[in-house]
Parts: sequence; structure tokens; C-alpha cells
Amino acid sequence: MYQFNFQPVFDSLDLLAYGAWLTVKLSLMAMVLGFGVSVLGAVGKTSGIKPLRWLIDIYVEVIRNTPFLIQIFFIYFGLPAVGLSMSPNSAALLALVINVGAYGTEIIRSGIESIPKGQIEAGRALGLNPVQIFRYVVIRPALRNIYPSLTSQFIYLMLTSSVVSVISANDLASAGADLNARTFASFEIYLTLTVIYFLLALAFSTAFGMIRRVFFSYPASR
Amino acid sequence: MTLNRRLFTTLAASALAFGLVAPAIAAELEDIESAGTVKIGMLVDFPPFGIQDSAGKPDGYDADVAKALADYLGVDAQIVPVTGPNRIPYLLSGQVDVLVASLGVTEERAQKVDFSDPYAGISIAVYGDASVEVTDAAGLSGQAIAVTRASTQDSGVTGVAPEGTEIRRFDDDATAVQALMSGQVKLIGASNIVMSQIGAATGDRFDKKFDLSSQVQGIAVSPGSDALLDKVNAFVEQAKTDGMLDGIHEKWLGEPLPDFVKTAQ
Repeated sequence: MYQFNFQPVFDSLDLLAYGAWLTVKLSLMAMVLGFGVSVLGAVGKTSGIKPLRWLIDIYVEVIRNTPFLIQIFFIYFGLPAVGLSMSPNSAALLALVINVGAYGTEIIRSGIESIPKGQIEAGRALGLNPVQIFRYVVIRPALRNIYPSLTSQFIYLMLTSSVVSVISANDLASAGADLNARTFASFEIYLTLTVIYFLLALAFSTAFGMIRRVFFSYPASR
Repeated sequence: MTLNRRLFTTLAASALAFGLVAPAIAAELEDIESAGTVKIGMLVDFPPFGIQDSAGKPDGYDADVAKALADYLGVDAQIVPVTGPNRIPYLLSGQVDVLVASLGVTEERAQKVDFSDPYAGISIAVYGDASVEVTDAAGLSGQAIAVTRASTQDSGVTGVAPEGTEIRRFDDDATAVQALMSGQVKLIGASNIVMSQIGAATGDRFDKKFDLSSQVQGIAVSPGSDALLDKVNAFVEQAKTDGMLDGIHEKWLGEPLPDFVKTAQ
């Protein structure tokens, strides 16, 4: 029977808490920036400008069909060869934004394409200008339609961020690995990490639910 | 009853493990000379000290030293592959006469086997870009240094690094070295083995900044094999002075035998 000893974990709770905070910060920034990339990507893809569409297609296909681990290695170890050197944490953020941007582009594109042509024509008939049409008639209902897939992608992003410790970025997983290297209480540490990641995912999920109620709960016929 | 028997087995096993029951079998120099072969235990899973060549034969630094030792004794070498955990039992039970098995010289081991003078060593040091001027631990402040997480170099660097050192921990040697080679860090805590492996590719781009710790390795014989030990020591002494160990070290590790091995007793 394995004897649990959580003392090493309790002794270093501040280390883990700091790691968790960095994971939250990293994920939040990646979500916000990644959302921006996704909207731009989706708009570009549905714009009808062919070369732009091809470029975005290449980006989406390359990122969605390669492992995140390879992408982050490439950004951290490969880019310095062309003179682009950045800190592990910046490289981690960039890799996460590029990764979630590709998935988000596809998700939001499907949302935009779910808007019936007639709805846009109705907007035009009401005398809305193109910016207003995009804002109220296209993107808002589009986001509402794909909101669950987008937010689960964001939560997946937060869990994926545990990989960034391979380039020595500081996050919850790397705090756990450092603690493990010092105390060898692997089972206790990874059990604690599991609980923290689970609680973080739950918190994000709750927050997304609240955002949904605020922004997307207007009356709709469907 | 079952419990008692199990208890007895456990006790017997631990007694064996601690060498209380089976007395060490000394190797007699005369026996080796009359047999015409010396049985030498060697690791084959510890590059570049002990490896297997493409034909499956033991090769590496230890193999070259073992062959030279047999030549010195004027007998044939019969190399017996051993593993880290079983090398000392192999020696004490007489299955091998000597160990040229990268056995690090420690207090605990010296109580069980007799060590020759050191014939090899592994050192942990801070290496870095030749352009970076760091000569001691205090110079690490404000620098980023790569180490392998939970390795000897991790604890070595963590132990001496002053406030303001950015220690970047990677999961294995290869990734830590990659961080150095790609320029993401200018410094690395690494062993001379790892650095000799990348030395071939990088030339004089990196140099050693300062030492962290070192461990010398000795040739080991069973306690009581005094005639053999004298002969082994004479061999090590000669191999050090006539440059033979320098040559073998140069061949496998890219540099002559380090000074800390030559001077250590």
C-alpha cells in the first residue's frame, strides 16, 4: 500500500499557486489574442479575396495538422536561427496564440457561414451600413452559434499550455516538475496538479457561461 | 510459518546484499598469469565509456583501457559485460578479476572493493559562449543558464547560483544543449561528456567557465588482491605518464585526460 505524504506539496503551495497564476495569465492572454486572430482569420476566409483565403488556408492546415509540441519547439529553438529570439514565456504565448488561432478561425468561419444570406439582406434593407451589418447581423449571431465549441477550444488551450514546460517556460506543470525533482513525491504532486487543472477548467467554464448570459442571451427566434 | 520463512529469506538476502555471508573472493595475480586471461568487467551501456560496437563487441574508453591493462599484464583480456547494479557483486564473487566499469570512487564503495588510482573522471561544470565572461558563480547573476531538470548539474547550479540567476530547466540533456546551441541561453550546466559530444560540431564556440563538481573513477579489485592491485596501479601510473590515457581520452572524449583525474589520489 502506497503511503501518501502530502507534506512536500503543502510546504510548496506558494510555488504551485504561483505556477497556477502563470498558467491562468498565459491562457487568458492566449485566449484574448487568439480570439482576435480567429476573427481576423475567419473574416479573411469568408471575404472572397482568393490569395488571402489561400494564405489563411495554408496557416490553418499547417497548424491543425502538426503536433503542438513540434510547433513550440520550432518557435523557441528554430526562430533564433533567423534572428528572432524571445524568452521562453513569450515563445509559449506566441505558440499558443498561433495554435488556438488556427482552430478558432475554422470554428468562427463555420459560425459566419451559418448566417443565412437573407439575414444580411434584411440588415441592408433596414439601412445598416456594412460595419453595423458585420457587427450586429453577422458576427454576433455567428459567435452565439459557435460559442460552445469556441469556449471548449479555449479550455483545451489552457490544458495544452501544460506542454510549455518543455521550453522551460514557467507554468503550473513546470512548477510541479521542479517540485517533483526536489522531493520525488510524484504521485502526490501530480494528483495535486490534476485537481488544480480541473478546478481551473471549471472556473473558466463558469466564467464563459456568465459571459454567454451577458452577451448572447438576447431573444432569438431559434 | 510462511511469514517466518519469508522473514528468513529477507534476512538472508539482505545479509548477502551487505556482503555479510559470502566473503569476497580475492583474485590472485599468479592465477591470472597462469591462466593467461584476465576477466575484466565492463559496462556496455554507458557511452562513451562503455558501448557496444556495430558487431556487438564491447567498445569505448573502458574497453580500450581494459585491453591496455591486459597487455600490460601480459595476458589476454576476456571482457565480461556487467551492469551498474551488479558490477560489484560480480567482482566480489570472483566472476571477474577486475572492474574497468566506470566505477566512481566513493567512501561506501571503497569499504567493499579496493580502488586503483583514478583512471578516468566525469566533471560537471558551467560552460558557455566563448564571448560571455563568467569565471565564478557570482558571475551567473543576471544570466540565463540551461540545465537538465533534476540532474547533478541542476542541483550543482542551483546550489551556487546567486540571486538574479535565471535557471532554465529542460527535460533532458538534448533539449538543454539545444537551448545553448540555438542561442536561447548563453550558459549551460553540463558534464564534460555531453560537452565533448557537441564539441565536434561547434568547434571553439563554447568554453568552460568554472567547475561545479567532479567524480573520479577507479579500476576496482576484490579486497585482498594486493599483488594485482599493485600491478594495476603501476599500469595506471605508466599509462598516465606515457600519454596512453591522454590518447584514449582524446579518442573518446575529445580532450586529454583532465587534470583533476591526473592529480587525484
